[in-house]
Amino acid sequence: MWPPRVRQRLDLVRHLVARDFRLRYHGSLLGVLWSVLLPLTQLLVLVFLFQRVVPLGIESYPAFVYSGLLPWTWFSSSLAAAGGVFVGNRDLIRRPDFPSGLLVLVNVMANLLVYLVSFPLLLALLWVYGRPPGAALAIVPLLLLVQAMLLVGLGLAVATVNVFYRDVQHLVTVGLSLLFYLTPVFYRADQAGAAALVVLRLNPMATLVTAHRAVCLENVVPPLATLASMTATAALALALGWVVHRAHIAEVVDRL
Amino acid sequence: MRPALVVEAVSKRFRVDRDRPTTLRERVLRPWGRQRARRVEIWALRDVSFSVERGRALGIVGHNGAGKSTLLRLLCGVGRPTRGRVVRSGAVAGLLELGGGFHPDLSGRENILTAGILNGLPRGEVQRRTPAIVEFAELEEAIDLPLRSYSSGMFLRLAFAVALELEPETLVIDEILAVGDARFQQKCLERIARFRAAGKTLVLTSHVPEQIRALCDEVLVLEEGRVMLQDAPEPALRCYSDLMRQRTERRLAAIAGTTTVPFSGPGGRGSRQGTREAVVEAVRLCDAEGRALDRVESGQSLAIELDYRLGRPLDDFALSVGLYTAGHVKCWEMSLSSAAAVVGPLGTTGTLRCSVDCLALLPGSYAVNVGLYPPDFAFVYDYHWDMHVVWVHGQPAAPGTEVTGVIALAARWSRVG
Repeated sequence: MWPPRVRQRLDLVRHLVARDFRLRYHGSLLGVLWSVLLPLTQLLVLVFLFQRVVPLGIESYPAFVYSGLLPWTWFSSSLAAAGGVFVGNRDLIRRPDFPSGLLVLVNVMANLLVYLVSFPLLLALLWVYGRPPGAALAIVPLLLLVQAMLLVGLGLAVATVNVFYRDVQHLVTVGLSLLFYLTPVFYRADQAGAAALVVLRLNPMATLVTAHRAVCLENVVPPLATLASMTATAALALALGWVVHRAHIAEVVDRL
Repeated sequence: MRPALVVEAVSKRFRVDRDRPTTLRERVLRPWGRQRARRVEIWALRDVSFSVERGRALGIVGHNGAGKSTLLRLLCGVGRPTRGRVVRSGAVAGLLELGGGFHPDLSGRENILTAGILNGLPRGEVQRRTPAIVEFAELEEAIDLPLRSYSSGMFLRLAFAVALELEPETLVIDEILAVGDARFQQKCLERIARFRAAGKTLVLTSHVPEQIRALCDEVLVLEEGRVMLQDAPEPALRCYSDLMRQRTERRLAAIAGTTTVPFSGPGGRGSRQGTREAVVEAVRLCDAEGRALDRVESGQSLAIELDYRLGRPLDDFALSVGLYTAGHVKCWEMSLSSAAAVVGPLGTTGTLRCSVDCLALLPGSYAVNVGLYPPDFAFVYDYHWDMHVVWVHGQPAAPGTEVTGVIALAARWSRVG
């Protein structure tokens, strides 16, 4: 069915994702549940803050936040780990003919698993708040694909450059904590005011989070123009990441 | 049939920043001119071309820093040549660095699976072969423990077993036969012989000439990143030892302004070479208590003492002591890559003693050849060839018997059936 080369690569990705998982939750009882619990505690804090302390006046607020938090968590945990993808896998990078770009994909996929495990929780939350998901849910795989492209592109660049300048991973951590507030995860984009809207428009994650929420919560498929522009942005990121990676991978192998 | 490996005009450059700007801040703050000045370029390989036919075994020799490891890595596809190209047909597996390619937190079994899938085998196939790998590595007990808990011997056995049992077309081994216990080494050599009999290709480096002779069809001599020669083992190994002599002479010329080394053994015997940065001043044969012997007996204890003097301050040197027959056949030789590690700190002058309990040599005339070298054996400080003669005495053979050869064995005859 598949050409052997493709099948072998698929085998490899599957194995490496499993390996990444095992290494990450090595020796912990709850395993992957820890990664599910983290956004849940974040959800609790945000709900407490913006439903009780400073009410934002958003309906079904927990479902609202969680439907944005899931894609955001995938994004931020993937990028936060991206810096270590080459630096921390010296053993694989220095194997004969190892396709090093694959490691970035493996990192993105391993973090996607957390999203997938959490997804039933989101569905449950939607039912509880009387927003049963509809046919628009069929568009979710497309959104995930677009986000994966974006993540692989950014991840390739971060992983590569971090081999030469270890500052990059710290820079990414700082950037992510800023970006969290510049992404409408716990607020609606229209609440941010006109000035902030410009920033939100430049932030591809703002578009993705908003689209993901519209699909889950409102059963609304984003307009075609939005889908097209975010796909184009993600494709551009992927291309740029690939170019950076290609240009420096030989030296990465020597440096490690 | 296509050769297993073709190396075409390969050069490899490493850029080493003398103090590498690892942070963006330094990179941004440091002026460009200074950045350039601090960057050192090292050409590890220069215009290297050769090919290995399928089914052949190629040995690569060269002293430390000649580019052997860099070349092996490029052969495996780890890193890319700066210029030129390496063409491989079929899967190439490498045993390059001990533990390379394994993850310390995963078990032996999981690491085998990773290695197998990376070698292009389907998951099921790797699982089918795993028992054979575990058996060869003799790790039945430890295979499900994380590699962190393995000894270096276990690591080595696993690495070898994986590389050999996954049956690549070409196997590349860097100096790894040097470690591990003798029995496992022998097992590996037998497995390598089977591997070769199956028509597979082997590339290896070794510091041990006997290993090169035993395993290789041809040998490539590398010197400062260039190929000096690709030939049959004997001429290539001769070329390699010539290179050591040339390096010594060049160094001597640089130090003393002369390349002529005075030959002076006692009574004008033998020859001597070296830069004389450390010299052997005298070689004596003693008994176990250090009393000079006037008569060396076969089967008795013997101590070889050598007086050394350092021509310039050195923390350490390597040394060798060997016994050769009058016909220059090596009977025994021992080298230490670090004298200081064996005998403790070395003064400017001193005496080192090498004692043996039983000199198992037949009566006859032998030469004691001694040498002092820098710890990487790159050249020679002082080598005495055929300068010191020892007569080994012994009981004459019983009437009606004749003993020939080199080693003395206490043999008895009786009828048992």
